[in-house]
Amino acid sequence: MLSLRIEDLAKSFPGLSGPVLEIASLTITPGSRVAVTGGSGSGKSTFVNLITGLERATSGKLVWNGDDISRVSEAARDRWRARHVGLVMQDFHLFPGLSAFENILLPARLARVADAVTIGRARELLATVGLLRPDQRIETMSRGEMQRVAIARALLRKPGVIVADEPTASLDAEAGEAVGRLLLDLAEQAGTTLIVVSHDQRLINRLDRRLTFQAGRIVSDSVSDEVAA
Amino acid sequence: MMRFILADLRRLWAGATVVVLLVALATALGVTVTLQERALRLGSARAADKFDLVIGAAGSETQLVLSSVFLQPAPLPLMSGDVLAKLSKDPRVAWAAPVGFGDSFAGYPLVGTTRSLISSTVSGFAEGGMFGKEGEAVIGAAVKLPVGGEVKPMHGSAATGGETHAGVAYRITGRLQPTGTPWDRAILVPIQAVWHVHGLGHEHGEEEEHDGEAAPAITRAAATTDEHGHSLFEAVREQDHEHDHGHVHEAAAAAGQGEHGEGEENPDHHGIDPDAPIVEDFATDGPGLPAVLVKPKTIADAYKLRQEYRNGNTLAVFPGEVLTNLYGTLGDAKLVLGAVAAGSQGLVAAALVLVTVTHIAQRRRQIGALRAFGAPRSSVFAIVWLELFLLIALGVGLGFLIGLFAAQMIGSVFTDQSGIVLPVGFTDEDLKSAMLLLATSAVLAAIPAVLAYRQPPAAALRA
Ligand SMILES: Nc1ncnc2c1ncn2[C@@H]1O[C@H](COP(=O)(O)OP(=O)(O)O)[C@@H](O)[C@H]1O
Ligand SMILES: [Mg+2]
Repeated sequence: MLSLRIEDLAKSFPGLSGPVLEIASLTITPGSRVAVTGGSGSGKSTFVNLITGLERATSGKLVWNGDDISRVSEAARDRWRARHVGLVMQDFHLFPGLSAFENILLPARLARVADAVTIGRARELLATVGLLRPDQRIETMSRGEMQRVAIARALLRKPGVIVADEPTASLDAEAGEAVGRLLLDLAEQAGTTLIVVSHDQRLINRLDRRLTFQAGRIVSDSVSDEVAA
Repeated sequence: MMRFILADLRRLWAGATVVVLLVALATALGVTVTLQERALRLGSARAADKFDLVIGAAGSETQLVLSSVFLQPAPLPLMSGDVLAKLSKDPRVAWAAPVGFGDSFAGYPLVGTTRSLISSTVSGFAEGGMFGKEGEAVIGAAVKLPVGGEVKPMHGSAATGGETHAGVAYRITGRLQPTGTPWDRAILVPIQAVWHVHGLGHEHGEEEEHDGEAAPAITRAAATTDEHGHSLFEAVREQDHEHDHGHVHEAAAAAGQGEHGEGEENPDHHGIDPDAPIVEDFATDGPGLPAVLVKPKTIADAYKLRQEYRNGNTLAVFPGEVLTNLYGTLGDAKLVLGAVAAGSQGLVAAALVLVTVTHIAQRRRQIGALRAFGAPRSSVFAIVWLELFLLIALGVGLGFLIGLFAAQMIGSVFTDQSGIVLPVGFTDEDLKSAMLLLATSAVLAAIPAVLAYRQPPAAALRA
């Protein structure tokens, strides 16, 4: 369970006049469930990349439970992300040729942390996300099933925060609904902080807090109606 | 990690196969050149090993060695018979053996020589024993004729349309053990018989004188090809039926193959006395000779003899030394072939780098994702590197096997044709070159791996 504190964060790309993301101050409490919305190109993915350490901030502070990841090396950010972040992307990023089970374990195996406990946990997670054939090849699965494999992979190393970038955008309504519910349930069970970029109103409404981005700035920060009610 | 690499290769099996085959063929080319050149060098050196010193009439050193050691059919000038007489009496000589060539039977060259040469150059008999009479022959290990069978020699070779020596037939008394030299394909007969067949030696004193002085006279009477265009087998058949068909008899007689003394007008053709004892005492001046193989008693003697017999009329060579000069030429050829092989390997390497760099660009997302989901950067490098290195290493391994196989194939064809056994095989040198190839491929594989390593994951995921 991680908390996030952002101060004077900015991200610019060479060749662009202004920064694509600018956040003066933002705090996310441990275990909270935050929705991030905004139009296309408003900086949501940039936000995800920065808070997960995939990209380095141009300036400012980005502190997860006391660790400022904007100041450390690329390798250190990789290590930190592997240890603390469960990432779920719109396009799944699963590896064809491997089974569902192998896909879940792949990053842990490559990082040499796949011990017997982890392997057992991978099996449990597959059952938890409702997949009954662990040895099914990933390319033979439906998109909804693929995203469930991706969620199981994100949870494998018991991350302190789950970050999902438009996890339901490429799924049909029904599969999207199932994936959204799964994300919420599993994050709640584990008590994990959850940050979900989404346009899906039903998913957004189920989260505690909503950040709205526009042109690289947070224009609205509100407590969700449903939860507040 | 291996599982991931294998899954990846399974997915890209067609491309992977092409890469492996390309590398294998480029490697095989180089390996074949190296193995073949080395085998040729060793094989011919071994063939020349038994012959310390060869003395012949003045002419080409290379031809003298090729004809005497490698039994290459080519005309050699004759030297006077007293050279052999002198050598036989020389205290520095362990043995000196005349060799006479020119005739053949069933595609095998007939070599006239002495028992001392045979017993001191071959380890023994596989079957039967040494010739004891003028009408007997001993065959090399690779001659496919039965012991006890008959040899009816012909001038030159069937290929050049030689004619048979009518009425001359040797009985095979033994088969020698293999030596791995062209002599394995030879039919060895007493030199005395060769002289008699060609009307030299014994009662034909004047002719012998004549031939001995006329140095340019050629052993290979095959130069007088059969005007009738008879093949060996036709000729033999004709001979078999000679008594039944008069016209064939005529043809044979016209070709100068007189039997029953009818061919006396041609001084080159005479019979042998199959039961005559073999005399191998060359102390008295004999007929002209193309070459004498000499076994000097000491190395110092060898040098002195070579010096002494290098004069205007005779030529003395160490076959090993002549071969070394030939290898010089061979070495140039190897250099060219080696350059071709290296060039093809370079091209393949360049193509590989191009293909994999493109491939890495196509896999940006996958590589970015690996890191995004928690794989360490080093494992990204390792995956890309290992994947390519495995393919190249497989190709190199396969290439060495193909190269070995190809060299062995070429070697066995060569052995069939020449009798020279080529020792095709890997040595430490090949191990070194394999290591060098692998080291190069390791560096090569690192190029796309570094590219993959340096790819920022976020940018890759956006793409
Ligand atoms: N590597 C980059 N170089 C230049 N501009 C970029 C880069 N990445 C993102 N951008 C720009 O930053 C802005 C925000 O992008 P992004 O965070 O992906 O938006 P969203 O995810 O909200 O659609 C866009 O205008 C995009 O073009
Ligand atoms: Mg986006």
